[in-house]
Amino acid sequence: MSIDFYWRLPTHGCHASVRRGSYDRGDWSPLAPGNQAPGLTADGEDDGYRYIDHLAEIAKAAEVSGFIGGLIPSFPNTDDPWVISPLLARETKSFRFMIAFQPGFLNPVQAARLSASLQRATGGRTVYNIITGGGGPSQLWWGDSFSHDDRYGRTTEFLDVLKGVWKDQDFSYDGRFYKVEHGGLPPLLGREEIPEIWFSGSSDAALQSAAKHADYYLSWLEPFDQLTDKFARVKERTAALGGEQKCAVRVDLVARATEEEAWRDIRIGFENVSDETRARWRGQPTDSVGAARQAALKPTEAKRYEELIVAPNLWGGFNLLRGGPALGIVGSYEQCAAKLDELIARGTDAFILAGTPHLEEAYRVGEEVLPLLGRKAETLLQAAE
Amino acid sequence: MTIRIYWQLDVAAENGRSEPTERPRYQPVIRDIRTASINRYDYYAQIARAAALTGFDGLFVAHRTDADDSQIVAAAVARSAPRLTIIPEFPASVGSAVYAAKQAVSFQRLAHERLGWAIAPDADAATRARGADLVAEDDLIARTEEFLIVARGVHGERPFSHKGRFFEVEGGGFEAPLNRVAFPKVFLRGTSEEALALSARHADVHLFDDAPIDELRGHIEALDRLALKEGRNLDYGILQPLVARETGEEASEAHERGLAGSYDEIADRLAELAALGINHFILGAEPGFEEAYRIGQFVLPRLRARVAPARAA
Repeated sequence: MSIDFYWRLPTHGCHASVRRGSYDRGDWSPLAPGNQAPGLTADGEDDGYRYIDHLAEIAKAAEVSGFIGGLIPSFPNTDDPWVISPLLARETKSFRFMIAFQPGFLNPVQAARLSASLQRATGGRTVYNIITGGGGPSQLWWGDSFSHDDRYGRTTEFLDVLKGVWKDQDFSYDGRFYKVEHGGLPPLLGREEIPEIWFSGSSDAALQSAAKHADYYLSWLEPFDQLTDKFARVKERTAALGGEQKCAVRVDLVARATEEEAWRDIRIGFENVSDETRARWRGQPTDSVGAARQAALKPTEAKRYEELIVAPNLWGGFNLLRGGPALGIVGSYEQCAAKLDELIARGTDAFILAGTPHLEEAYRVGEEVLPLLGRKAETLLQAAE
Repeated sequence: MTIRIYWQLDVAAENGRSEPTERPRYQPVIRDIRTASINRYDYYAQIARAAALTGFDGLFVAHRTDADDSQIVAAAVARSAPRLTIIPEFPASVGSAVYAAKQAVSFQRLAHERLGWAIAPDADAATRARGADLVAEDDLIARTEEFLIVARGVHGERPFSHKGRFFEVEGGGFEAPLNRVAFPKVFLRGTSEEALALSARHADVHLFDDAPIDELRGHIEALDRLALKEGRNLDYGILQPLVARETGEEASEAHERGLAGSYDEIADRLAELAALGINHFILGAEPGFEEAYRIGQFVLPRLRARVAPARAA
C-alpha cells in the first residue's frame, strides 16, 4: 500500500497569510503595493507578471517538496485547469495536474483528445477530478440545465464514451446523452494511459457512477467517525455494484512548530473575518449533498474561534478564511501528522492537502509534516487488524 | 495597411518526427541517451520559437482530428514564445460555449491576451458521428453562430441569459477580473453563401484558401457588401501553403501543393494579395521547423518591404 499526497493550486488567487482574507496574490483584488503576480514596479506600473507565474512557483514548490501533484479547482471566477495545465507542462517535471471539470461541459470525444494530448505533453501527468455539479443557479450560469440525477447519468455515459474511444479504435455507443459511430483516438494518442479518475458526490446517483468509473472517491474532511462511516459505505456500496474504490480526503492544514502558534494564526484569522464574508458564506443555495453536510457545522454563527473546535486539532471554520470546506487540521507538525496518520488508519488512501499561503506552505508541509507520516499509521493499521 | 503574418503549425505533418517511439534506431555502438520525455512537444515548442525568432507575428495551430489537440498544443508552447499571437483552430462541436469562453478568457489572462480563435470548417457527417457530434447537417452554421453569440455574451455581458437551440444560459457572464481581458479575435472560413453571411455577422477575420486573384476579389467584394449591411467591418486573411526556394527553378522541382517560386516571386504574389485587402497571412510549408527559418528569414523581409511603401502612399 502506498499513499499519494497532492497539494492544491489555488485558482482564485491566494493570500500572503492565513491571518488575512485579502487576495494579494493574483488580480482578484485591486493592484496595490506588495501584491504579487501581477505586482507593481518602482514606477507604479504593472510589472508584467501574471497569475500563472505564481501558479508555476507553487507547482514547482510542491513537486520539489514531495507532493506528486496538485488539484486545480474550477469555479465560475477561477482560471481554468485545462489552460493552466498545458501552460505549465513544460516547466514542471513530475507534478501531476489534477484537473477539476464537469463532464457535461465538453464533448466526450473531444475530452479524450484533449486529455491524450495533455498526457503526451506531460509524460502522463494528467489526473481527473470529475465534478458533477454543485447545482442550483450556478449550473445555469455554466449553461447546464440538467437535473441532479441526470447529471450523474450523463457523467457515467461521458466516461463510457471517453474510455471507449480511448481503448477501442472502432467504438460505437448509443446512450441517452451521447451517440458515437465508429469513433476512436488516433493510435499515437490512444496508447497513452487514461488519466486516473477522482470522483466526488455523496448521493446514491453519484456512488453508482463512481462504482463504474472512479479510481478514487474524494471527500472533504468530515468529523472522523462520520468520514469513516462514509468511506465504509462507499466501499461497500461500490463493491456491491462491482467497483473498487480507494478513498481520498481533501483537507487544509495550519501546521506550525508549536500548537500554540497554529491556534494563534487561526484566532487572528478568525478575528479578521469581515461581516461581508460571513454573509456570503451563509446559506448559499445548492443541491449538492456534500455541501449540505458541511453547512451543518454553522461556522458563520460562531462568536469565538474556540466554538468551532469540533475535536482536538480539528477546526470547523476554514471556509471563513477562504472558499471551500469548513473542517481542517490545526496543530504542531507532530499533531498534524498524527491526525493524517489516523485518517490513513481509518482507510484513507490518498490526500489533497493545502495551506495558506500555498507557495510557502507547500515547502513547510512537505519538509516538516510529510517526513513524520507513516510510522504511526502502520501501528494503527496493525491494531485495527 | 498593417499586415500580420502567422506561421502554420500543422500537428499532423511529419508525424513521426520527434516521436520517441519513431526514432531511427542507432547501431548499438552509438550511445543514445534520449529519454521518452524528449518528445513531440519539444518539436512544437521549437517551431513556435522559430516563428518568434524569425519575425512572424503569430502561430496558427491547425485542427487535425488524427493528431494532438490544437488548444493543448497552443497552451503548451505559449510560454516558450512569449510574444507570439497564438491561434488554435477548433470546431464549434467542442462542447459548451460558456466553457470554451472561460478557457479563452483564462488563456487571455495568463498569456497576455495573445489568443485567437479559428473556428474549423464543419467536418463531414461520418467524421462528426465519430466525434459524438449529433447536430444535423443543416444546423451546423446555426450552431456555430450560437456558439459565438453565447461565448461573446458571457464574456461581454453580465447577467447574460440565452435560451437557444443549442445552448442555454441563465444569469451568466464573467465577473472581474475575468471580464477585463479582450475576447480573442475570431477567424472564420468558407466561401458558401451561408459561410460568408455568417462571417459578415460574426468574424473579425475571414480566412480564404489559396485561390485565383479574381475569385478572391469577388469574395471580398461580396463579403464587404454583406458586412456593410450588418454595420460591421472585417479583416481578410489567407491560408497559404508555400514552396519558396532561392530560385523559381528549384521551387518548381519541389512537386508539392501550394504557391511555388523564388523568394521574390512569393513576396510579389503575397504583396498582390495585400493590395487586394488581405492583411492576415497564415503561411505554411514542410518541414515546419526548417521552413519557418527559411521563409522567416528570406520571404518575410521581402514581403514587408513591398507592403511598407503601399502603406506610406
